[in-house]
Order: sequence, then C-alpha cells, then structure tokens
Amino acid sequence: MQKRRTSIFLLLFFSITGLTATALAQQPAGFVGLTSSVSSYYQELMQVITGDWQKYGEVFTMLTAEWFRPIFLVVLIGVPLVFALHYLIIGAKHFDHEGEQVLFFSAYNRIVHLIAAVSFSLLVITGLLIIFGAYFGGGAFIRVSRYVHLISALVFAIPGILMFAMWIKDMLPQAHDIKWLFILGGYLSKEKKPVPAGKFNAGQKMYFWFSTLGGGVMAYSGYLIWGFGGSLDTIRLFTIIHNILGMVIVAFYFTHVYMSVFAIAGSLQSIKTGYKPKNEVDILHSRYKY
Amino acid sequence: MARMRFLCDVERCIDCGGCVVACKEGNHVPVGINRRTVVTLDEGKPGEKAISVACMHCSDAPCIAVCPVDALYQRDDGIVLVSKKTCIGCGYCFMACPFGAPQFPKGTFFGARGAMDKCTMCAGGPEETFSAEEHKLYGQNRIAEGKVPLCAGMCATKALLAGDADVVADVYRKRVFQRGSGVNAWGWNRAYTKK
Repeated sequence: MQKRRTSIFLLLFFSITGLTATALAQQPAGFVGLTSSVSSYYQELMQVITGDWQKYGEVFTMLTAEWFRPIFLVVLIGVPLVFALHYLIIGAKHFDHEGEQVLFFSAYNRIVHLIAAVSFSLLVITGLLIIFGAYFGGGAFIRVSRYVHLISALVFAIPGILMFAMWIKDMLPQAHDIKWLFILGGYLSKEKKPVPAGKFNAGQKMYFWFSTLGGGVMAYSGYLIWGFGGSLDTIRLFTIIHNILGMVIVAFYFTHVYMSVFAIAGSLQSIKTGYKPKNEVDILHSRYKY
Repeated sequence: MARMRFLCDVERCIDCGGCVVACKEGNHVPVGINRRTVVTLDEGKPGEKAISVACMHCSDAPCIAVCPVDALYQRDDGIVLVSKKTCIGCGYCFMACPFGAPQFPKGTFFGARGAMDKCTMCAGGPEETFSAEEHKLYGQNRIAEGKVPLCAGMCATKALLAGDADVVADVYRKRVFQRGSGVNAWGWNRAYTKK
C-alpha cells in the first residue's frame, strides 16, 4: 500500500512538473515555431551558416569574378603603354651629368630605399602572379608566390616605416604641388622650364603616401586575409580593399619605375650614388634648397 | 545528362550527425575539416530544426568564378570539384561561398592554408578515377561506382537526399503532399494566421 502510494505520488509529481516545464517553455516563444513560414526558417538558417551573403559576399564575388582581374590587366598593360607612347613621342629628359653635383640622398636614405625597392618589387610581382595565377596553371609556383608575397611584406614593413620617418617632412603637401599637377610636372613638353617642386614633386609625394600609409593598410588587410583573422564579412571587405588599393599602388609603382629608369635619363644614378646633377635639380626640383 | 543535387528534408532531419561522421570517416577527411555539418536552429526550443549542410554544387558557382588559379570546375552533371594540386589556398572561394563549404587544412608555412577541401559529392577529383592518388586526395568516388554519396546513403531518416535532381525533387514533392506540413497544410493559414 505504502509502495503504491509512493509511486502514484511520484507519477503525479513528474507529470505535473513535466507539464509545467513544457508550459513554461512554450510561454515566451508562444507558437512562433509552428506559425513561422518555411521561407523565414531558411532565412534564419542562412544567417546562421554564412551571415548575410548579399551584404559583402555578393559584392566580393561580383568584383573578384568580373572586375579585379580585368582592371589589373588594364593597369598592367595600359600604364606601361602610355609611358611607351610618352617615351616615343616626347622622349626622355636629358641633363648634363658632367657638371656640378648636389648630394640628394644620404647613404642611409639609399640603403633604406634599396631594401624597400627589392621587397616592394617582389610584392608587386608576386601579387600580380597570384591575380593572374590561372595563366601559370596555379599549383606550387603560385603557392610559392604567396609565400614570397608574405615574406616581402614582412621585409618591406621595416624600410616602409623608416622611409615614412625620414621623408615625411619633405613629403608634406605644399601649395605648389597643385601647380605641378596641373602641368603634370612638365613631362608633357620637351622644354626645360623650372618645375614647381621641392625635394620631392607632387607625383613622388603621392607615391610616398600610397606606399607608406597605403602600405600599412595593405599590410593590415593582408595580415587579416592571410590568417582569416576576422569575421567572414570583415575578410571579404578587407580583400576588396586590398585589391583596389593594390591597383592604385601598382600603377604608381610602374610610374615610379618609368620616371626613374626611362623618363629622366640617368636619374637612377642618384639613388645609387646619392648625387644629382645641379642643372637637373634646378629644373625638376626648382624649390629645393641645397 | 542528369543534374546531381543534394536536398535536406528539414522535417526529417533529427540532428544525429551521422552524415558528418560517415563523410569524415569514409573519405579520410583531414583533421580539422568537416565537409558536411549539421546546423541546428532554436536548439532546445519548440520548433527546433536541424539541417545538414555541405557544398551545394551550385549552378553558376561563385567559388569557380572567383578562383584566381581556376582550380575549381564543374562537371557536366553539376558536381563542383577542386584540383588540390592547382589550389594555392588563397581562400577566395570561402569568401565567395554562401554556404561556407570550402574548408582549409592548416599548412606548414607561417600558418598558410593548405589546399582547399570540400564536399565532392563522393565523386573524387580530377585525377584518374579509382586511382590511389584520387582516393588519397579526395576520398571515395562512389558516383563512379553508381552509388549515392556516403552521407545520403547512411542517413537513417532519409532526410538527406542526393542524386538525379528530378528524382530527388520527385521524392521530396511526394513527401510534402503526403504529410501536408507547414504552410502547405490544408487549412493552415485560415486556422492559424492572425489577421
């Protein structure tokens, strides 16, 4: 009798607590689970799996699939083509290298620039290799390019910071830079009229800001992309930024190479020896006080 | 040619995770990678539902569109496959995928990702069918054997369907008519939708 009473009590106890628990569990949600439509269920599901794909995923896919590679191709072919035409039509500027020389870059400047030049060139080359990897069949070669891209970025960080520190004073924008931009530094004519520029002209200044501050953005975004160091949407956004800023930097890189190697005959010497001919400085960097 | 497709019947999936284990074990998937995963919604609440998700083998797949080295391709039967020898582990496919399907093993170089691994619908890869190399890189090639993928084959409640799209759709359609669930059920809106 005692046993039966206990079992009935337990049965009742469990039934009541069970029912109460069920009722309580139903309370906040009500019948949401039952009335919500199938489509809203899938909407919630997709949020759980990948977040809002339409926000950045779709943009990323569209840009990467249809725009980035063609634009890089235009930069890769178009910019050198424009310079080739410039070289053929207007030609290089020649200055007498025999006369008086002006010390333009200290040994420290030149060493920092050399490290920057090598690592930055590697960054541009490997970056382009990754973008056009399909034409090289991918695989080990492009994989190694990615590794070199990372190493070069780590190396470039050092001269990048040093360059920023040593040239920032000369690279600050001045009023005459606007004038320089309007005449495009006098590169569209064969005349040798003094050009409004201090130690660095407006073009060099733009390249400086894009490669140091822009380089910082590239480094940070690249770091996040490399290790997927953020939410998926963050990574998508930073990949878009990395690519678009990359285009600008590559265009400036080609410009810098053309100017130093071809457009001004013998100007490459100044970053090797540190000296520029006085008559060249008087024309191209007319406001430079030596 | 038949278009191969996956379909997970949400009303039937019981969140057992058998598909995940079957795939991982049967294909010797690398550590840290699940080609398939079961997502649970409203866990522990009324209306809890689970769905098994893997690569959907999309028509016009975003991963194929963004791959910088063209490592991804689509077979005539719609199955999207990756060439692990071509893949450079850049991760673009993962960023483009709406389903989070591409997975990456940890590489050895400064935390670089290894070659992408994803659901092959048990159809191997670009290497020679049934070769040891294909098996090592991609797992089983059950499609070539005329079988459904491991996950769908073992699904206890037959929630996960895989195969010819027309057949899969037909099976699912019959089920929906039979059980008359959700918004499709007769009288549902009239009875329960609040005006």
